[in-house]
Amino acid sequence: MTLAAKFKGPGWYRAALSIPLGILFGLGLTVGVRALYGYDPLFDGDAITTVALISTPLAFLVGIGCFDYWFYWAAGKPTREEDHSSHGAHTWKDYFKVNTDHKVIGIQYICTTFVFFVLGGLMAMVMRAELAAPGSQIVDPNTFNGLFSVHASLMIFLFIIPVFAGIANYVLPLMIGAPDMAFPRLNALSFWMLPTAGIMMVASFFAPGGSFATGWTAYAPLSTETPLGQTFFTIGVQFAGASSIATALNFLVTIITMRAPGMTFWRMPLLVWANFTTSLLVVIATPFIAGSQFFVLFDRALGTDFFNAAAGGDVLMYQHVFWFYSHPAVYIMMLPGFGIISEVISTHARKPVFGYRMMAFSLMAIVVLGFTVWAHHMFVSGMFSWLRVPMMITTMLIAVPTGIKIFSWIATLWKGVIHMTTPMLFALGFITMFTLGGISGIVLAVIPVDIYVSDTYFVVAHIHYVLFGGSVFTIFAGIYHWFPKMTGRMYDETLGRIHFWLSFIFFNLTFGPMHLVGVDGMPRRVADYAEEFATLNALISVSSFIFGMSFFIFLYNMISSWRHGPKAAANPWRAHTIEWQVSSPPPIFNFDEIPTVVGGPYEYGVPGAQHAIFKATEEKREPVAAE
Amino acid sequence: MAIYGLIASVIGVVAALWIDWFPPAAVQEAKDIDTLWDVLLIVSVPIFVLVMVVVIYCVRAFKARPGDMGDGEPIHGNTMLEVVWVAVPFVIVSVLAVYGWIVLDDIEAKKPDRLQVEVRGQQFIWRYEYPNPTGGKEKVKSYDLVVPTGRQVEFNINTDDVIHDFWIPAFRLKIDAVPGITTHWRATPSEKGSYDVLCAELCGLGHSTMRGSVRVVAPEEYDAWLSKTAAKAAEEG
Amino acid sequence: MESASISAGHAAGSHDHHGPPEANQSSRVDAQMLGMLLFIISEVMLFGAFFTAYFFTRVVNNEPWPGDGNELPVAVAGVNTAILLSSSFTMHWGLEGAKHGNRRAMRIGLLATLMLGTAFLAIQINEYVSIGFAISESAQTSIFYGLTGLHGAHVFIGLTLLFFATTRAFRGHFTEKEHRGVEIPGIYWHFVDVMWIVVYTTIYLI
Ligand code: HEA
Ligand code: HEA
Ligand code: CUA
Ligand SMILES: [Cu+2]
Repeated sequence: MTLAAKFKGPGWYRAALSIPLGILFGLGLTVGVRALYGYDPLFDGDAITTVALISTPLAFLVGIGCFDYWFYWAAGKPTREEDHSSHGAHTWKDYFKVNTDHKVIGIQYICTTFVFFVLGGLMAMVMRAELAAPGSQIVDPNTFNGLFSVHASLMIFLFIIPVFAGIANYVLPLMIGAPDMAFPRLNALSFWMLPTAGIMMVASFFAPGGSFATGWTAYAPLSTETPLGQTFFTIGVQFAGASSIATALNFLVTIITMRAPGMTFWRMPLLVWANFTTSLLVVIATPFIAGSQFFVLFDRALGTDFFNAAAGGDVLMYQHVFWFYSHPAVYIMMLPGFGIISEVISTHARKPVFGYRMMAFSLMAIVVLGFTVWAHHMFVSGMFSWLRVPMMITTMLIAVPTGIKIFSWIATLWKGVIHMTTPMLFALGFITMFTLGGISGIVLAVIPVDIYVSDTYFVVAHIHYVLFGGSVFTIFAGIYHWFPKMTGRMYDETLGRIHFWLSFIFFNLTFGPMHLVGVDGMPRRVADYAEEFATLNALISVSSFIFGMSFFIFLYNMISSWRHGPKAAANPWRAHTIEWQVSSPPPIFNFDEIPTVVGGPYEYGVPGAQHAIFKATEEKREPVAAE
Repeated sequence: MAIYGLIASVIGVVAALWIDWFPPAAVQEAKDIDTLWDVLLIVSVPIFVLVMVVVIYCVRAFKARPGDMGDGEPIHGNTMLEVVWVAVPFVIVSVLAVYGWIVLDDIEAKKPDRLQVEVRGQQFIWRYEYPNPTGGKEKVKSYDLVVPTGRQVEFNINTDDVIHDFWIPAFRLKIDAVPGITTHWRATPSEKGSYDVLCAELCGLGHSTMRGSVRVVAPEEYDAWLSKTAAKAAEEG
Repeated sequence: MESASISAGHAAGSHDHHGPPEANQSSRVDAQMLGMLLFIISEVMLFGAFFTAYFFTRVVNNEPWPGDGNELPVAVAGVNTAILLSSSFTMHWGLEGAKHGNRRAMRIGLLATLMLGTAFLAIQINEYVSIGFAISESAQTSIFYGLTGLHGAHVFIGLTLLFFATTRAFRGHFTEKEHRGVEIPGIYWHFVDVMWIVVYTTIYLI
């Protein structure tokens, strides 16, 4: 390819050109408008940055090639045959291009999000170093506030939410017997918006005045008054949110319109159910966080008075709008994990999921209830006091559908043939640790207790029990479980077990004592604390370092197994769901022929039961699963 | 298994109750809250233990023997069991919610003749205003928080800038100071002493330094302090 | 990583010439149509967030609307409403044309919709210029500009989509069978219209 062609075609060369153009556009627009209105000074750094933060990512997306096809379509050019030139990866370089293959996008998602996990984790390590002793250790309070804000934002918006989207991207179309997602190009766009959002959040550390430092909740009016770094959050979240809405829409359409023949809703694997319900949450709730951040952005950039109490604005409105998204968001961060656990437990315990229909119904119950509880984050916010008790009741009721899930998983283990593989270990770790985190949630929901422990380390303990012991454990379970399918290689079981036990033990030593310091009166979001909490905090910090180190084992295992691990069979776990009935890794177009679904997904122990058959293969009487 | 579960639950509950969770209490309302907490522990620990014990039992009893390639029994469900594990948590959380509600009503009950103290948050310090002992309209302003025992105090909380949160751990209560509105909480100090006052809502750079203290004193001592402060304020004009 | 793409059944390198199997269509609803409907749901929620701001200021805090001394040009906006409403009819007309293979009707319908929509935007911008209060004056004015501006942005998106559809219509695309490219922007356009009725009622009328 000639150099000129490289700059013309989609890819990094063109992106390298378009990014500066995006910045210039932001600069030009701002200066132009300011000149028009006669503002002084003409060059206002904050205004330019704000506009450039929107225009530059868009320019990057155009440059890298997310919109090429649509531009072509919009211009009304004659329809062209799909040549599949951007589908599938032939070399590792293809993973760095705009690709429409859901399997490639899945891997792109998972690798990118783990990069942000490491970054967010390293920030947590710095925080723990600062908190190892009272007084000031290594960072000043402003940096500290920035660290936990960026830590949480990365973990939530760039790790948990998208990594689930990544795992589902890879396995969900295979599971329902679809050749790809419904909108492959939209799928690619969703992915490419992510690194943009993440880089923006990390880059805020270089903004004058430091990174955004108002917590991941960014309460107004603090967030409308802090320096420029806040804008990086306000806009970054919009990109992450748009990405997540687009993916959810894609999942919903794929699940509704592209299931294989015979795949009724009641034959769908629970992972598909989980992503179906999660996507409903995303589509309905995410626009609210977009709204909340628009208000903040307008207050910052246009001088509006949404949160200016003196001019009729309402400060608590921010919290209502924010939590109307962010409470459902905690289920967005948990339900896909529930799906993974159902797959892992039934496969590795070799039993049908107990109460399959109730499992699906309880997911839906959580979705519905999840929209009615947002104000449990606002018991001490000074909001309408009549709203507290109804919210307490609905919040506590969520224990019922969640309990159904926990108990059904345990009943699935009962009388199974349990293989203690690494995914199974993480699944068991999840069941127990999430129960603990869930119960501390119920404790928080009781208003008089919450009035006392809100904004203390007790909440921090809850957060990490549900998000690490809950979500991250399910992610590890899922990654280990589908590693053979995604890479065609087996991971190292011994290293996997060591990884599990180290993280399980030091997870508890890190976050368990936080319950104690919290109830004893240590507030969250402080760089410095009273002497009496020193001992426990030292213990927490030391444990957290070892906990962090345990991640190296995972990393080593993944990388070395991917390169040199033993080749994996098509179906090493002898599972029934469709993704295991194709080769590992799957063919580039998933199937030569769409399978036909003939039974439930988990008919373990039922003689002769099959979930799906390939008619042509069946006729030739070849075994479906090459063992 | 049931035996192990029972033993573990008892040990767990005893251990949980033995832990000294809270900082010392200085108000009458604290007792209700601390009891509620203990009840929550007594309910929560057995639920967690139940899950733990059954999981550990399953792992021990149903672990695959090396080379066992068989499947488990194809049990798809059990209506009876499922009804039980819907009904029991439902009852538990309903009872807890009602109990929580009752406690909430109790601790928020207003008593007549309560002392009104205005609290103003500002980055990064608390200021207070007391009723004038001479009956004048002018409030007595101070950076110190002093309250008498035996009389309910109502804190009316305001802020000059961003959101803060007025929290006295020994009093167990907290609420945000919100721009544009006044929030309240009430407590009846009962134990003399000096306790921490904290800001519990992220309010910027100095959030972690926004700490102060409250002195709970005998009513006479409070009156003396107030007159002195009022006099001093008048003097300074 | 290379291995992730090597399929079991095919010889490496040959898979470019072979496409995916036809997906099974498991629902009567068309994928694009469903996608647009879901997108509209999330758009409705975005408006919901802005209406929450409106609700808090106007209902919960009972602030005067639209603020002391501010007047809203109800009549002009009413005419504008009529303009936008009639564009829904021309849109429908254009789509009917596409469905019945009547290219002329389709093109005229689309062009008329484009023009009416542009007129709406122009009148709205004129309203902003002459309304006499600024966005930063009070929460009420912020919300007024916020909601009408958000709607205006949606009109703009709708117009862009329609512009593409019109371009394609004039370039000879769309047939009796294949008219999704008109139908789907059309649905969006009707949504923008209905949303305006809600905005107009809440902001101007009550
Ligand atoms: C994955 C994320 C996740 C999940 C799943 C949950 C689940 C729950 N959360 Fe949590 N929560 C967060 C993430 C999550 N949370 C975060 C991030 C915050 C802090 C935000 C911030 O301020 O920064 C928070 C804060 C938070 C608060 C506010 C605290 C405060 O700031 O003052 C409350 C209060 O009610 C709460 C409650 C609950 C409840 C009741 C559940 C329930 O869904 C739990 C249900 C599960 C169980 C109960 C266990 C299993 C059930 C059984 C075994 C049945 C039997 C049980 C009983 C009868 C009790 N959470
Ligand atoms: C999914 C979400 C998630 C995850 C995974 C984590 C993971 C961790 N979190 Fe975080 N956290 C939150 C979500 C999450 N957190 C949220 C929402 C908040 C609230 C923020 C707010 O108040 O706004 C919070 C707040 C929070 C605080 C409270 C800050 C404060 O209020 O002042 C603390 C303090 O200890 C903390 C610690 C940790 C630690 C030690 C980990 C560890 O688990 C991290 C382990 C991972 C790694 C360390 C990275 C990988 C490891 C390596 C690459 C090896 C290198 C290691 C070494 C150098 C030792 N977190
Ligand atoms: Cu004031 Cu924190
Ligand atoms: Cu919540």
